[in-house]
Amino acid sequence: MSTTATAAYVHVPFCRHRCGYCDFTLIAGRDDLVPAYLRGLERELRFHPHDPPTGRTDLKTLFFGGGTPTHPGPADLAKLLQLVRDRFELAENAEVSVEANPLDLTEEKLQVLIDHGVNRISLGVQSFHDDELRQLERDHTAVDLQRIIPVTQRFLPNLSVDLIFGIPGQTLAAWEQSLKQAIHSGATHISTYGLTFESGTAFETRRRRGQLQPTPEDLEREMYALVMEMLPAAGFEQYEISNFARPGFRCQHNEVYWRGDEYHAYGPGAARYLNRRRETNIRSVLGWLAKLDRGLTPVADVDELSPDTQARELIFLGLRRNSGIDRTDFQRRTGWNLEDFAGDIITRQVEFGSLVSDPKGLRLTQAGRFIADRVIAEFL
Amino acid sequence: MAILGFRRATGGAIGVFRARPGPETVNRRRLPARTLPPMFDTRNIRNFSIVAHIDHGKSTLADQLLLQSGAISEREFKEQLLDDLKVERERGITVKARAVAINYELDGQKYEINFIDTPGHVDFHYEVSRSLAACEGALLLVDAFQGVQAQTVANAYAAINADLEVIPVVNKVDLPVTRIPEVLEEIETVVGLDTTNVLKTSGKSGIGVKDCLRAIIERIPAPKGSVDSPLQALVFDSKYDTYRGVITYIRVMEGRVQKGQKIYFMKGGTAHEVLELGQFRPNMVSCDDLSAGQVGYIICGIKELGSVHVGDTVTDYLHRAPQALPGYEVPQQMVFCGMYPVDATDFEHLREELQKMSLNDASFSFAPDTSDALGFGFRCGFLGMLHMEIIQQRLEQEADVDLIQTAPNVTYQIVKTDGEILQVDNPQEVPDVGSIDEFREPIAKVHFILPSDKIGPIMQLSADRRGTYLTTEYLGPNRVQLVYELPLAEIVFDMYDKLKSITQGYGTMNYEVIGFRPADLVKMDILVKGEKVDALAVIVHRTQAERRGRAVCKKLKEEISRHQFEIPLQAALGARVIARETISAVRKDVTAKCYGGDISRKRKLLEKQKEGKKRMKQFGAVEIPQKAFLAVLSTSEDGD
Ligand SMILES: Nc1nc2c(ncn2[C@@H]2O[C@H](COP(=O)(O)OP(=O)(O)OP(=O)(O)O)[C@@H](O)[C@H]2O)c(=O)[nH]1
Ligand code: SF4
Ligand SMILES: [Mg+2]
Repeated sequence: MSTTATAAYVHVPFCRHRCGYCDFTLIAGRDDLVPAYLRGLERELRFHPHDPPTGRTDLKTLFFGGGTPTHPGPADLAKLLQLVRDRFELAENAEVSVEANPLDLTEEKLQVLIDHGVNRISLGVQSFHDDELRQLERDHTAVDLQRIIPVTQRFLPNLSVDLIFGIPGQTLAAWEQSLKQAIHSGATHISTYGLTFESGTAFETRRRRGQLQPTPEDLEREMYALVMEMLPAAGFEQYEISNFARPGFRCQHNEVYWRGDEYHAYGPGAARYLNRRRETNIRSVLGWLAKLDRGLTPVADVDELSPDTQARELIFLGLRRNSGIDRTDFQRRTGWNLEDFAGDIITRQVEFGSLVSDPKGLRLTQAGRFIADRVIAEFL
Repeated sequence: MAILGFRRATGGAIGVFRARPGPETVNRRRLPARTLPPMFDTRNIRNFSIVAHIDHGKSTLADQLLLQSGAISEREFKEQLLDDLKVERERGITVKARAVAINYELDGQKYEINFIDTPGHVDFHYEVSRSLAACEGALLLVDAFQGVQAQTVANAYAAINADLEVIPVVNKVDLPVTRIPEVLEEIETVVGLDTTNVLKTSGKSGIGVKDCLRAIIERIPAPKGSVDSPLQALVFDSKYDTYRGVITYIRVMEGRVQKGQKIYFMKGGTAHEVLELGQFRPNMVSCDDLSAGQVGYIICGIKELGSVHVGDTVTDYLHRAPQALPGYEVPQQMVFCGMYPVDATDFEHLREELQKMSLNDASFSFAPDTSDALGFGFRCGFLGMLHMEIIQQRLEQEADVDLIQTAPNVTYQIVKTDGEILQVDNPQEVPDVGSIDEFREPIAKVHFILPSDKIGPIMQLSADRRGTYLTTEYLGPNRVQLVYELPLAEIVFDMYDKLKSITQGYGTMNYEVIGFRPADLVKMDILVKGEKVDALAVIVHRTQAERRGRAVCKKLKEEISRHQFEIPLQAALGARVIARETISAVRKDVTAKCYGGDISRKRKLLEKQKEGKKRMKQFGAVEIPQKAFLAVLSTSEDGD
């Protein structure tokens, strides 16, 4: 059964080096593997049996994530983009996003991006303070940003800025400054992420050894509260836990995930969701490649969602969005009435002040947003 | 009779089972005329129990008896082979008495020897007393270094009172350091047994085991029953097997029992056909018959739990014995706690499992109980803390039910203003203060045996625990016996551990309940988020209430995880709050990133969190984990 998914994700697993907090699928300092990766990608783009034949689907959103998709040189970058463009047609006004590391962005590369239809860029700024950038082991400085952001905007005005809060040692005032700079940078979209210590990262090891102090919970809460105060006041509407956009500039591709819609995916560690099945590829670049080279599936993990799990997942994802869960939509997609499905949990969480429930749907309150995971877990 | 301790409280009826030809057995009838296979001559049977203080090497010596008699081969051998319950192997102690039959040839004569390896821990004394009732003799092991300890004395007296031939054995003589001359002296003076022909053995190396077997045959009397009398067999244990139903362990006192025979349980009043019978060698091996003096099992395909009672008498359905054996006195439970299934739908399952467990351990009790906080469950009584832990562990391991256990307490007596006397083994049953005239607690007489240089700290401990000093007696130059009266509640929970740590393991204790005394006791309630949680209430001495209250609140704060809201915890006597703590609300708990590749992983992570919560009890909006219900045991603020 081929699907009608109109979103695709492509994972590009290369970075200059691995930042201390990062647990993404990537391989640092192995640019020699780029040609092999491109070969693998070419294969995978035509591998999955359920994917539609070439040229049959018009993608509405296409997202290149990483790693750092802009890390390969201009020629490889062009090739990468072309591979995907050869495989899929784009719908009119399709959103084509690319994640980028500031220092990778040369004018030449930016030109390659727009030549291949890229019309949105998500920049890994993380902070506008050098001490914090060093702490995060990022390779750019505040001065670099002042130069790179305007240049990037000349090519790609639809620019999103990623910021991290809860960096060890970060103060509330410093965070406020970073937010201000992001607001004034002219970005159309801002994503803010609370730093987490993921297992297997250098940060986690240092935290365990007492060398890194995580930000106190109360301060972290204040930082998040500040985001939700400042960005909307500056005209950025919050539409998801971590995402804010000027009107008309939400990330269409990410909305696909949160609506529970289907999407294709390619590349090591990439996850696709088709026919109520979430498949995740082998994370190791070489492992992924080896499978494809032998004509075998690069899928490592399959999560077959039962109707019940799917319904719970819709709640999980829906509650992360500010628009929440629409009752009619929930019923249409799952066959269940939301109230029958989870009425008592809803009542309880409304009592706690974490949820708003009205005839239209269900949403987190501002208070609920701070403890979203806890509220959501109740539904799982 | 200085250190009877537990014996009096538990098996008062031991010693009355020796089958003696009395007037009633004269009136014997002949068995139906059938050709029977030859049976083992009663004169060549010996039955004994191995008794000792905990860890003095009973099970290890049992291994050697099995090995040196050829009952098991070197290949089948493993240490403490008879300790086959999972809890026994995990903890390295014997919990259940185990009967075994071995064959042994001495001076050209073949003998059948049945012996029972018994547990040494005081909590399992009921196992010992039941075993003794099935024997004519006992091997009393004494560790060659540790010497006579509290349960050495208690068990020795139990055997002597049961009229058994007691053979003292100094064990573990292979130890690099021993105190054999002093130990012999202690056996003579403290236990009162002659040590002229004392045996010296090592279960580790096998030294002296052959001498031991000879002494057993030469010194322990053969059973006295007659094969021709009507069947009279003592049910000394039982267990439930999923496929075969109840397995009944018997010691035949009179007559014989065979496959196909119709038998009758004299107290239970039920009749059954024997489908299989056999001996423990040490695994169950079937045989054709068991006759007077022999020990073994019978299987009658009984599936109804509750129809076989330990202590009952098995007789022939048609040719009944004129009288049942006296059986066992139900032991007195010392500590009580609530046991509730985590999942309420497991209630019936738990009842069934408790019934099966009680078939295998008649010394614990259970009765249905309800709690506002925990729903339907059972109030269970145990002989001690270890006993309680073991039963809980066995239920979880053997029966696969998740349990919530409430903090244990002793039984109290309350005299109401209208003169009514209540026995209260559950804090929930304590009436209003206004209607209590007198609150009484059980008092125990405690015998400590310890190195004399530790007298001071133990006296201090006893004083802290509201004890009354009685006597001091020197057992040897460096060992002393202290006798105290202490509230039972002050000793059952952790006195043994405290004693062990103060004396570096060399102190032992034994206790017996001697009665009830009035005391200034109060019920302390625990309020979680403003509401009393009945399952957390405890009975405490007023002078200790505040300290306990603070300790409990502090412990609960550690055990209950933070919620979406603040949770005040309070300890209260009536309306008066005596301690409080607050669990602050979670301030931030939200994953920032959730994109295509994160969804399954993140969802599964949250599902797992939710799963963990299902195993907690929901009280109002507060989730209380299983362990928290034991928090009320905390006595000091540094959390022990
Ligand atoms: N050196 C030495 N150690 C022994 C001997 N017999 C037993 N032990 C050790 O003493 C410990 C207790 O042995 P067990 O045979 O389990 O003692 P027990 O009397 O059956 O203990 P309970 O049934 O729990 O009362 C174990 O660590 C044995 O290895 C012995 O003859 N010599
Ligand atoms: S640049 Fe981004 S993807 Fe690469 S290591 Fe750093 S945080 Fe991870
Ligand atoms: Mg043992």
